[in-house]
Amino acid sequence: MLGTPRPTLLSSCAMAATAAEARFRVPYPNSRGRASRIFALDQGAAEAMYRITEKPWHGAHFLTVAPGAEGLDPEATEADAVPLTMPDGAPAKLSGEVAGADVVVLLSATGGNAGAAEVIAREAWKRHTMIAALALAGGREGRAVDRVVNALRPLATVLVVARDDDFIPAMLTALRA
Amino acid sequence: MLRKEVNDLLTQTSAGTPMGEMFRHYWIPALLARELPEDDCPPVRVKLLGERLIAFRDSKGRYGLMDEFCAHRGVSLWFGRNEEGGLRCPYHGWKYDVTGQCIEVPSEPEESGFCQKIKLKGYPLVKIGDVLWTHMGEAESRPPEPTWEFATVPAEQTYTSKRWQESNWLQALEGGIDSSHVSWLHSGSLKSDPLFKGAKGNKYNQADKKPVFEVVESDGGLSIGARRMAEKGHYYWRITPWVMPSFTMVPPRGDHPVHGHFWIPIDEENCWAWSFDYHPTRALTAEERQAMIDGYGVHNQYVPGTFRPRQNKDNDYLMDREAQKRGETYSGVWGIAMQDASLQESMGPIVDRTKENLVSTDNGIIMARHRLRKACVALRDKGVEPPGRVPEHQQVRSAARVLPPDQPFEEAMKDDLRVRPGVKQTSV
Repeated sequence: MLGTPRPTLLSSCAMAATAAEARFRVPYPNSRGRASRIFALDQGAAEAMYRITEKPWHGAHFLTVAPGAEGLDPEATEADAVPLTMPDGAPAKLSGEVAGADVVVLLSATGGNAGAAEVIAREAWKRHTMIAALALAGGREGRAVDRVVNALRPLATVLVVARDDDFIPAMLTALRA
Repeated sequence: MLRKEVNDLLTQTSAGTPMGEMFRHYWIPALLARELPEDDCPPVRVKLLGERLIAFRDSKGRYGLMDEFCAHRGVSLWFGRNEEGGLRCPYHGWKYDVTGQCIEVPSEPEESGFCQKIKLKGYPLVKIGDVLWTHMGEAESRPPEPTWEFATVPAEQTYTSKRWQESNWLQALEGGIDSSHVSWLHSGSLKSDPLFKGAKGNKYNQADKKPVFEVVESDGGLSIGARRMAEKGHYYWRITPWVMPSFTMVPPRGDHPVHGHFWIPIDEENCWAWSFDYHPTRALTAEERQAMIDGYGVHNQYVPGTFRPRQNKDNDYLMDREAQKRGETYSGVWGIAMQDASLQESMGPIVDRTKENLVSTDNGIIMARHRLRKACVALRDKGVEPPGRVPEHQQVRSAARVLPPDQPFEEAMKDDLRVRPGVKQTSV
């Protein structure tokens, strides 16, 4: 329970919480650039992702799990054996991409390439990197979405089921990707 | 991070702003019904969405909400005499009915019909549950009257309070969506608050401080699931529904009443934090109701005679560092409501979101902003009615449940997350 009220004071907290005081907040940057790595796990996700890769991002890398990853056994697959491509088609190495990453974002439209997703997640866990997963549910029926969600759930700290692909740039902007 | 133009779009709610227009497409809580307790009682000043209004209840029990100021010389009608079917300005006797229509101008001949030419802007005011609701938009866009469960259960099962919060509405709403702060900021209260303590689920909250989140879009807004470890590899799920624009519910604990909030703009720098508690199937006990009145749970104590919290920024929220050291509170501020409000007000009246550094566990907030922005723009540019206005979207509940690891909450808890009359809340 509360104690006896103390006299009203113009405390620093009260002063700082006024609109007039807001202009005295220090103007210096409070964070440095982040390294975000966005992985499109299937073709549908890649198409949604490629619509936004041209935007001015802050060090984000956009990668696609390339054809050939279907049926990949995560237990038997080394990180750099996951076929990845950059937006220009150049190949990329998973270990190098995840090294130093601040956040790994997995995008999935179908729940496919679950093995590759697990290897990517394992590589991120190994480096204590946060994993966010985005299930793109737009236009898909419930069971298909469940498949995507079930595939992503064990891998991510945060899982978002979005009805529209336009959440991808909204989320990446919010995360300063 | 949110770009400045989007922050402005979402936080400005006066008439003529896109978000202000969107709020005007909903029924919103305006006053507690007990603020106008009887016919011809004193009128009440209320500011909503940047408009200064006066509410009154006339001799026939009709409620009115209208422009606060007399059309004659601009006198506040808070000084008005509420009598004989209208509110009369004490300056020169002009009188208004509950719609704002002037019905008497004593200085003018009655036969002249002059008073018919005078009408203050008025809004409907209807009593549903403990709350008087208003719709501040055009009549043609008026949605069906609200059907929220807390407002429609019998009176003995529900309790509602409101408090003035000295911050923009969006800061307050985002606190209602942000499940991840509970294990930190409210950890002391989970052990001691009479409206929270004793639930089995609390121990999962306290044992697992790194919940995993799932954010799922719903027709009316979002379902935000927070998942913590339970026994035998099972998950303890707590699901927070958000219905646009500003309704949130807190997942229940044990058989305690279920609680939730509305966050309603007063103006750009202040909002009403509405808090309700109800039980879907039983009357609140006398002890529960008294605890709510005493400021426990999601409620608060007041500066007497006002809706300003007793703990406020002028007294540093009665910060108690000793209680903090003893582990009674995590932040040093007493009470769940004021633990939230103190931090949200400390951000400043409208937080500069260009400077924030969100992380992936903030995705509930990110998605809520995204949906608000989209709905706001769709309404402004294409006239598309925003979600959350229809009864189907309002028939939601929060829920808590332990599930096997392979079950998506949105499927396994589908029924738990809908209102089921006569069925109690799903809780742990």
